[in-house]
Amino acid sequence: MSLDEKQLASTVSNFGNVPKSAKRVPWRIAFGLKLRAWWPYYAMMTPGIIYFLVFHYFPIYQAKLAFEDFRIFGDNLFVGFKHFDTLFDSPAFFQVLANTLIISAMKMVFVFPVPIFIALFINEVRSTNLRRFIQSAIYLPHFLSWVVIAGIFIAALSPSSGVVNDIGQALGFAPRSFMTESGSIRWVVVFSEMWRTAGWDSLLYFAAIMAIDPQLYDAAEMDGANRWQKIVHVTLPGITPTIATLFILNVGLFMNAGFDQIFNLSNDAIRDQIDIIDTYVYRIGLQSGQFSLATAAGLFKGVIGMVLIVAAHTISKRLTGKGVW
Amino acid sequence: MTRANSTRFERLEQTIIVSSLLLMVVVTVQPILNLLAISFSDSAQVPGMSGLAVVPRGFSLDVWTLLIANPEVQRGLLNSLFITITGTILNVTFTALMAWALSRPRLPGRRILFVFVLATIVFEPGLIPDYFVVRELGLLNTYWAVILYKLVNAWYLIILIRFFEEVPGELLEAAELDGANAFQTLWKVVLPLTMPALATITLFYLVYHWNEFLRPMIYLNDSSMHPLQVVLRKFVLDGDKSSMVGLAAMSNYQGAAQISTRALNAGMIMLTILPILAVYPLILKFFTKGTMSGALKG
Repeated sequence: MSLDEKQLASTVSNFGNVPKSAKRVPWRIAFGLKLRAWWPYYAMMTPGIIYFLVFHYFPIYQAKLAFEDFRIFGDNLFVGFKHFDTLFDSPAFFQVLANTLIISAMKMVFVFPVPIFIALFINEVRSTNLRRFIQSAIYLPHFLSWVVIAGIFIAALSPSSGVVNDIGQALGFAPRSFMTESGSIRWVVVFSEMWRTAGWDSLLYFAAIMAIDPQLYDAAEMDGANRWQKIVHVTLPGITPTIATLFILNVGLFMNAGFDQIFNLSNDAIRDQIDIIDTYVYRIGLQSGQFSLATAAGLFKGVIGMVLIVAAHTISKRLTGKGVW
Repeated sequence: MTRANSTRFERLEQTIIVSSLLLMVVVTVQPILNLLAISFSDSAQVPGMSGLAVVPRGFSLDVWTLLIANPEVQRGLLNSLFITITGTILNVTFTALMAWALSRPRLPGRRILFVFVLATIVFEPGLIPDYFVVRELGLLNTYWAVILYKLVNAWYLIILIRFFEEVPGELLEAAELDGANAFQTLWKVVLPLTMPALATITLFYLVYHWNEFLRPMIYLNDSSMHPLQVVLRKFVLDGDKSSMVGLAAMSNYQGAAQISTRALNAGMIMLTILPILAVYPLILKFFTKGTMSGALKG
């Protein structure tokens, strides 16, 4: 029986004594009843909703500045895509876009796999105390600000008194100024990222390893598997969904090469090597006052970023059934 | 392969694994210990100290006394504490209230509100529109420009909603039958049952506020309002040595001129890390558990 037939049947059978169904209540009254029942919850949410409107939705409206000429006095003038044209015609912007993509790609290749290895290694440590000690040491940098980390790296990479050059000199290398050489600064960015995040990120993989059914290991052992065979045939397949999810989500964040990090590791000598869209927006916008152009650059990044995040999330959900929302 | 062989091989494997992890620990901790050692060393000996050193040479509190006597550092510390404490209290309060409402499965409009929150994660309009909003609200050069940003962090909100949803429905119904209103149920039933989750997001917010430097730098023009991270940046990264030593200290304190900037930098960095180290045991306890169970739930 199709839906229409059902409805028809029920209407016919109820003919004459129609009960007042919920649908018959006028929406105003229904709305009023609901509001009366739920108003404390809406009241609780009000500050949060106002916050999201003011600090997240109002800026979206403000982004119209990208399509206008900013004026200190009077109304801004609508100019369409003029600022985007300027942006895409400027070699400086392409350098910045290239840097963003290069630095993100370097982080993906050199930083992303490290926590997986750390987690695999930590899982092989038998002593619980030793494992806890190692974990609590390598998680620490995750909670330090990039200002602090930049300070630590400047000290550690100093040509005259830094630990890296001290070791290098003991091994017979000439001291280098890693922070100011265009050949090395991107590696400083990659390594500092690794130093800060690899330990903490290993926690997610470690949690995934802990969730693997111990019976699988027992079975593998019965079949005569050694440690490496167990890693390859049990552990790795067990954490593949986690690896896939995190990889895809990282792709989603590809345009975020890391403002705080780059901003604090930057200096005049190597700026052109590591200037990314975010630091560029800060510089031309807040420092040089080219608000419209900076907004256009930020909006360009925001739109690409949004497409990447939504795409990454969709793929992640299709592939692994796991998503963030 | 004989049994003896395999044991020896396994022992070798174990040694390689443990030593590579310990090497990682050294790489992580040594640069921090080096700065700590330098900050406690006798100034005369600092220039000769290697970057490898982890034990102070001589012992002196000069750097620490000088920094703590510096009015800019004092104000920075107070500003940081004010922003962090006020910010975190507001964060946790409003995140918990919103999460509680959104965790009620039958709340009318729940789906729309979820989309409303999630959309903010997906699209960020950028720094300049944000600046204009703060300016139009008249928040420039007020602590509110710093404190109110991320008042409710969408990610932490979602984490908290997930935890609140796990509070058994029977308990909530029982509370409602006993005449508890929405607020009382939250306060007396939901929050006590989700303390670990609440502690976790509290720590997340604390660390976030303590480490924030960009917004204070942009929105607080008055340098007497700057938190410690901005002071650290000015002293160490921008190399403002004169305000680091401080004119007052220079005249009051004989040895001030001789103290090496390397030692002062080290002390300033350590001072900024100190509060994080103080709450680190708590962080480890709650964060690791929270992240572990979060990952398992996936």
